[in-house]
This record gives sequence, C-alpha cells and structure tokens, in this order.
Amino acid sequence: MIEFKHVNKWFGKLHVLNDVNLNIAEGEVLVICGPSGSGKSTLIRCINRLEPIQRGEIIVDGVPVHDKKTNLTKLRADIGFVFQQFHLYPHMTVLQNVMLAPVNVKKMSAAAAEEIAREKLIQVGLTDKAGAYPIQLSGGQQQRVAIARGLAMSPKIMLFDEPTSALDPEMIGEVLDVMVNLVSEGMTMCVVTHEMGFARKVADRVLFMDFGKIIETGRPTEFFDNPQTLRAADFISKILTH
Amino acid sequence: MMAFYFSRLVEIFPFFLKGLWMTTQIAFISLFTCTILGFVLGILRSGKNKITKRLIGVYVSFVRGTPFVVQVFIVFFILPEWGIQLKAFPAALLAMAIMGSAFICEIVAGGINSISKGQWEAGTVSGLTLIQQLRLVIIPQAMKVILPPLVGQYVLLIKDTSVVSVIGVMELTRVGWVTVMRIPEGLMVFSLVGALYFVISYPLILLSNYLERRMAI
Repeated sequence: MIEFKHVNKWFGKLHVLNDVNLNIAEGEVLVICGPSGSGKSTLIRCINRLEPIQRGEIIVDGVPVHDKKTNLTKLRADIGFVFQQFHLYPHMTVLQNVMLAPVNVKKMSAAAAEEIAREKLIQVGLTDKAGAYPIQLSGGQQQRVAIARGLAMSPKIMLFDEPTSALDPEMIGEVLDVMVNLVSEGMTMCVVTHEMGFARKVADRVLFMDFGKIIETGRPTEFFDNPQTLRAADFISKILTH
Repeated sequence: MMAFYFSRLVEIFPFFLKGLWMTTQIAFISLFTCTILGFVLGILRSGKNKITKRLIGVYVSFVRGTPFVVQVFIVFFILPEWGIQLKAFPAALLAMAIMGSAFICEIVAGGINSISKGQWEAGTVSGLTLIQQLRLVIIPQAMKVILPPLVGQYVLLIKDTSVVSVIGVMELTRVGWVTVMRIPEGLMVFSLVGALYFVISYPLILLSNYLERRMAI
C-alpha cells in the first residue's frame, strides 16, 4: 500500500530521512516512535507530499507520490491526516469542518456531504456537537472532530502525527478509543506516537527511528519487551520511567 | 460683505455638488480597483514565489516612499513621454490605483501571514487546491485582521483624491480652488469643501471603529 524506496530528505544540511526503506501493507497498523527530531513526523508528512523529498521514491497505492505528474488532489483525498495541534478551521462549525472537503474536493452535494459528516461524527461520538465551533470544544473533542474530518473523505489510509501529544492526560483515552475502533474496521494506519498502550494493543508493527534512520522494527511485544538495539532500549526505558 | 459672499456661495452650490460627485466617482472606482489589485498583490506577496515577492516588495516600497503628488505627476506628465497619453480623469484613477493597491497589498499580506501554517496544511491534506485553501480557509480568517485597517485605508484614499486636483480634475478640492478666486472668502469656501469630504469619510470612520471593536473580541 505504501512503499518507501531509498528515501532521502534534507532540511538544509540536516539529513532528516536517511535512506528509508519501508513497506506498509493494506490494513496494517504501523506505530512510529523515536526521540524528537528523529524524523518520524517528517516520514509520514512525506507520504501525502506535505514535504518534498530529495532522493528516492514513495509509492502509495501504485502512485509515485513525488512524481511531478501525480494528481495531488486525488492522492490526498485518499489519505487522511491528523495533526498534533488539530488545526480545525476556527471560523466553521464542527459540521462545516467535516463537510468542507467532501463538498469542495469530491464535489458532493451539501446534503450528501452532510449525511456523511453526521455519520462520521457519530463514529467519533460527537453527534451533539455538530453546531459548535472548535473553540467551544475540549482538546480531545477537537481531535476527534479532526479525525472525523479526515474520515469524511473515505480515505484508504489514515496518518496520525502525534495525535495525543497536545492533549491533557484525561482526554487521551477518548481519542485513542476512536483510533482503536478504526483499526477494527481494517483501516491502514501510520501513527506517530509514544502511547505504548495503544501500540501494544493494536499495532502490527512498531518502527523505531533515530537521526533519520529506521533503527529497528518489530512486533510491539518484541520491540518493547526485548529491543534489539541499545538506542531503542534506552528510548523505551525513558518513556517508561517518565 | 460676508452675507453677500455667503449668498454667492449658495448660488454656486450646485458647482460644489458636481465636484462632490466627481470626488465620489474617483473615490469609489479607486476603492474598488485598489481593493481587487491590493488583494491580488497581497496574496502573491504572502505566497512562496520569491521573485514575485521581491518585485511586489520593490513596488510597495517605491509607492510608500514617494509623495502621492509626485506619483500623480509621473502618471500625467511623464508617461506621455513613453507614449502613454492619458486624460486627467483616467490618469487620476490610474495614480490612485497604483498608490492604493500598494497600501492595501501590505494590509492583505499582513492578514494572510497572521494565519498559522497549520491552517494551510489542514486544507492541503484534505485535497483542497491552493485557490480553495485561500478562498475557504485562509481569507475568511484573515478578514478579521484585514478589515479594520482596510476600512481605515479607504478613508485615507478618499481624502487623497484631493491631490488629483493638481492635474485639473474638477473634483471637490479643485472646485474650492476655482471658487475662491471668485469668492475671496477662503475660510468659508474651504470649510464647505472640508465639510463635504467629511460627509463621505465619516460613515467609513464609524464603520472602521465598529469593526475594530467587533474584531477585537
């Protein structure tokens, strides 16, 4: 479904992605972790070309993402993306937030888009907030709206960039619950997170990055209980004790 | 004597209304073109293309760094040397468009730059085109920042139309000049001129104040 072939990326002199090779299968749930600045966010931002790459190739569902001829609108419509800071549109209601892309990208009628939007709001448990503005919602609710907004385009892949890092601890659970439900529906997911509970519960694979390189990958139980590299072991002990 | 001049002034008041009408025309045509040009330039200035950004930057600096009278002279007296001969009225409109768009460009660019990068990215990842991102996501939010100074700028533009009297456009200020030659009661004549400007500007001043208060919340 998603294939990285010798992907290299630099920010100026900083080598943020260093010869990344990776295959993500359809329906797979991949958790990416690593210290800050290790390139994990950049990695998933390249999948829908939020970031350019300088060398190598990324292929999503048969489409070369960084090819000049690629229809980006179509590609991005198939990939949902959830940000750490939610980035809801503050001037629109929850319902309008979720409907915007179906109406303007997929050219759906307002009625059809609203039906989908309401369906997705049910899925994230926010039916009663359709008319509210983002500022009236808690962080956890905002993030769930952001997930509904991504799902409204019926994507094949969902990417999550530290979806719970900006949340108060008591709200992390509600967002993770929504994500766990998505997993059970068979969604292909890449999740940058340090939520080990989530990773253990639903991830098919954990990928550990440092200095732009994939250092280690493995099943969650293997990775967390028996890391193969010193760096991974060090990292795990740090997120455990904190 | 005062009473005599006053009655003369009342007599030729229709002449003032003509001037007011000309000023209104120049003002509102200019507000319209300046707004459109200003938004286009402002959007480009806040964009990614470094060359257009630089070019617009030079243009804005030139306009901001030179007196409007000089710009009017350039349009009316210098352009003909390059074969662009304009009558006074279109020359006035062109000069206004050049000057006003530069100021509005800065206001618009400032408004757009005040919106976080995340808003653009949110639009991008859901497949919106750049134009859609601007129209649906960025501009509606930026308007909060843009509107109060924009309306303030409108007031300035209306008052700046008086400068085009120097190339002989029969607008309000010019009418004042001409009148004062026949009715040598300058205070009276130009008080009337001032009052008429105030009639057009004041509603906009009120609007600007209102917007400033509303948008501050």
